Amino acid sequence: MGARWNQRVVAGTAVGAAAVLASWLGVGTARAATALSIAAVVLVAALALISSSEFRRDHPVVARAAISVAAVDVSLVVTGFFSSTVDSNLAIGAAMSIVLLGLSFLTGSSGQISIGNGAFMGVGAFTVAIWANHHATTPIAVVLLLAVVAGALVGLLLGLPATRLRGPYLAGMTLAFAVAFGAVLNLFSTWTGGDSGLQLPYAVNAPAWLVHFFQPGTSSLTTNSVWLVDVTIVTAGIALFFMANLFASRTGRAMRLVRDNDVAAELVGISLPRARVIAFTVSAAYAALGGGLWTIINNAVTPATYGFALSITILSLVVIGGIGTIPGALIGGLIYAFAASVIAWFTAHTGLNPQGNVASQLNGIIFGGLLVLTILFAPTGIAGFVRRRWAAWRSR
Amino acid sequence: MESTGGPSLLELDRVSVHFGGLHALRDVSFSVASGEIVGLIGPNGAGKTTAFNVACGFVRPSSGHVHYPAAGRSNVHPSELAHIGVARTLQGVGLFPHCTVLENVMAGGHIRAGGDFFTSLFALPRGVRSERALRASAMAMLERLGVADVARQLPSAIPYGVAKKVSVARALMSEPRLLLLDEPASGLDEAELEEFSALISELRSTMGVLLVEHDMEFVMPLVDRLVVLSFGEVIATGSAEEIRAHEAVIAAYLGVDE
Repeated sequence: MGARWNQRVVAGTAVGAAAVLASWLGVGTARAATALSIAAVVLVAALALISSSEFRRDHPVVARAAISVAAVDVSLVVTGFFSSTVDSNLAIGAAMSIVLLGLSFLTGSSGQISIGNGAFMGVGAFTVAIWANHHATTPIAVVLLLAVVAGALVGLLLGLPATRLRGPYLAGMTLAFAVAFGAVLNLFSTWTGGDSGLQLPYAVNAPAWLVHFFQPGTSSLTTNSVWLVDVTIVTAGIALFFMANLFASRTGRAMRLVRDNDVAAELVGISLPRARVIAFTVSAAYAALGGGLWTIINNAVTPATYGFALSITILSLVVIGGIGTIPGALIGGLIYAFAASVIAWFTAHTGLNPQGNVASQLNGIIFGGLLVLTILFAPTGIAGFVRRRWAAWRSR
Repeated sequence: MESTGGPSLLELDRVSVHFGGLHALRDVSFSVASGEIVGLIGPNGAGKTTAFNVACGFVRPSSGHVHYPAAGRSNVHPSELAHIGVARTLQGVGLFPHCTVLENVMAGGHIRAGGDFFTSLFALPRGVRSERALRASAMAMLERLGVADVARQLPSAIPYGVAKKVSVARALMSEPRLLLLDEPASGLDEAELEEFSALISELRSTMGVLLVEHDMEFVMPLVDRLVVLSFGEVIATGSAEEIRAHEAVIAAYLGVDE
């Protein structure tokens, strides 16, 4: 608890205050400048905390929160400068990051594989759509929490019998769930809307006070996609904080022990079935949160989105990003976000019909290609690769 | 059954184990009390490892019972052992390969670490405090065994003898009343053997120890009592001197094996 990090916070806040002045002079409207200045102050203060190894050791939880806040802060600012297309893609990708965090925890920490997380996303996506259609007044944050609970419950139900299964057998069961999910949706088509899915009865808009702050005199934001991506990013930041807690805690350690040596893990008093159910439930809940956000971003949900291919994509992205690491999940989300942009760019420059057969397969080609490259050249994923290069560079 | 000193910690009561038609153990009975070191010896294939695995619930007896009188329990599941004050090392070192030495030792105190899933998820102060305390006591344990300098290393990066000490440190972290050591001497050099011998003797003051071992020179001076297995049956029990003079043992084991 020395004075060193305290001094850094003070210094950081001073820099932030200077940024306030600078941005008042540089940015268009006074209010945008105010927002930007607050963001700068928050960022510098957060970075000041994170940069002190002493602080990280003495206050691990605050440090983790500061990392989440810094990441969210930067993301929020940059979304203000992107086109609405890029923002929409980023929102989709940020939601995917949440899903990847969950699977990364399951696979990287506890060593299990799930090929059903696309279907768990669907559970969350349909929970949001169905609830919103029946109770339009429920605040969206509460609806998202319901999606998390629904995902966790379905995960728990499937996880309990799966506790006696390992490796390929658990994967097989999750595969069965992924394949059966569409049929289940059809079975309850009065609720789920069958093949055509559901529309949200309302668009999720920024609250009035925020609209009033940025655009006085108007009733909604001129580009609502900024609001949607920001909601997703904040949600992802919260999910990231909780996941970092799990990774760093007794629960996360128990998962790693089970993955590393299950016999020795039992001998230190860990119940393997319990550890597996917890990991499986967490991954399902995270997937459902991501799916719920997709419904909000797209303002609709269709069962075709949550088919088997999505589950495979999720698994590929976790491997590409780096299994069992938080940065890996974020990298995977970014790749997913920009795959759409890359495809748009590619079709525009090659004259390929964007609605054609080849273009519709480009996603699979990109992820499949990246997966092969990752397995060949960076088996620990991009996050692991970067970490190793960084360590090598520092020790030079 | 005879026992020296403190309360009985482990009793195998006429335990038999069949794998298909093979009788791995037949009517095996022995006990371990607090404050004594018991050695389980016998030629290869005599059933030492099976008896050991029965004692910790990895193998279910086909007939007979395993009692833990001090804990008032019988026939427990391996994951309950730590909770009833029993710790075991594994053959070789059995460490967690992708966790640092310090994390390995912290793992040994898993049941002492406080907090459930939600304590972890929300990083409640209780959980954070208990993790910090666990880290400190794991570090103290490493220092006690003289291997604190490798705390940040991975198990693959440290010498075998040091890894063995780490595995004992992990076992001691749960503060067991009964310690089961699976071949503690294997792969150690002379100096390390002496250190281990001294360490195990010292443990006697707070717990009972059962060890499976090949190395007779290591076992004989260390143990209070020996249980000799041959072809799945107990052929002798007694002090090291008694066993040395026991004819059946000489015939079955000492005379043949070494």
